Amino acid sequence: MPTVVKGAKSSADLAALIEAVAADQDRAAFAALFDYFAPRIKGFLIRGNTPPAAAEELAQEAMLTVWRKAAQFDRNRAGASAWIFTIARNLRIDVARRDQRARLLDLEVEDDLEQPAPPDALLLAVERESRVQAALQALSDDQMRVVRLSFFEGKPHADIANELELPLGTVKSRIRLAMNRMRELLGDLT
Amino acid sequence: MSRHHPKDTTLADFAAGTLDEGRSLVIATHLALCGQCRGFVAALEDVGGAMLEQIAPVALSDGASARVLDRLAPRSLAPKAPTAPKIWAADRDELLGYRLGPWRWVSPGLHYRAVDVPAAKDSRVFMLKAAPGLKLPSHLHTGTELTCVLAGAFIHEGGRYGAGDCDDADHDDAHSPVIDAGEECVCLVAMQGQIKFTSILGRMIQPFIRL
Ligand SMILES: [Zn+2]
Repeated sequence: MPTVVKGAKSSADLAALIEAVAADQDRAAFAALFDYFAPRIKGFLIRGNTPPAAAEELAQEAMLTVWRKAAQFDRNRAGASAWIFTIARNLRIDVARRDQRARLLDLEVEDDLEQPAPPDALLLAVERESRVQAALQALSDDQMRVVRLSFFEGKPHADIANELELPLGTVKSRIRLAMNRMRELLGDLT
Repeated sequence: MSRHHPKDTTLADFAAGTLDEGRSLVIATHLALCGQCRGFVAALEDVGGAMLEQIAPVALSDGASARVLDRLAPRSLAPKAPTAPKIWAADRDELLGYRLGPWRWVSPGLHYRAVDVPAAKDSRVFMLKAAPGLKLPSHLHTGTELTCVLAGAFIHEGGRYGAGDCDDADHDDAHSPVIDAGEECVCLVAMQGQIKFTSILGRMIQPFIRL
């Protein structure tokens, strides 16, 4: 049976599915997550220049990681899609670079210089997500395009310049302006 | 509280996984000390999540879902992430899982120790320890340099950099840092490209950092 690609799901629904996998090793919940995310992860990897056959394998690998690490998911810290994005991103790093940086990206470090924020000062992931959605709306189409290519797809600036037929300097300054804008809108999040 | 943060684009490259390992280590160290930048990186991961939802899905081959379901092993419960290490302490020879070489004397008041980042091919990662009041060699970058202060402080044209602060220098910045009085300053540095030191002190440090 071909994998059915379903439409959008709410963030809370997706989080509940991961939680069901974590709490009950719920295979039906996992299958629903697979149907939703595996084709998106495959698409994500192909956009980042992973050959389709490898992307197919890696998308399955990513979903196995979701199964194994489901108990580490905490909806107060990260949205379901953001959490799965980090799993797919780390796999992309492991395959492309074969170094330790995915571990650095996952690090939860004991903060020994800074006073920890009191719990009520921590912004819940769901609030942060809606702030992020609003910030993305504030980017121009051109800025959104370079953010997608450089940040999401992880493409080098030179490749982006080729793809968009723009001078390298224009690409660099557009990325810088887009990220500065994001930071302006989201820089107060802790 | 940090007052000097990495550039937004450096944090974005880190969150995308495209920043090299040496500089990723410096950023991870800064993040351990800076809630504000942790918040921004988490927001960028939300951006990644939002884009993942919007991407055109590419169907997997027939039966992929069933095959993966067959491979699911029963999990033992409570596989929470192991508690993380302290980032660094003066008596430790490890930083976020990377082995630190011995402190080596460079010149009066200045010591250097290598950070063993095996995959760092075109960058050098090291720690510097400098005595209070010491003037560091002024240098001109021809590559990029990323520094996170672990203890003490230094001052240069860009301001005062204390514990947790990050100096994300442009390749054309000329700096002549001075160590703040009162406390020894320890920094973590990832450096790419060449550095041209303009003083005798600078030339003394060059053999250590393989310039
Ligand atoms: Zn910061």
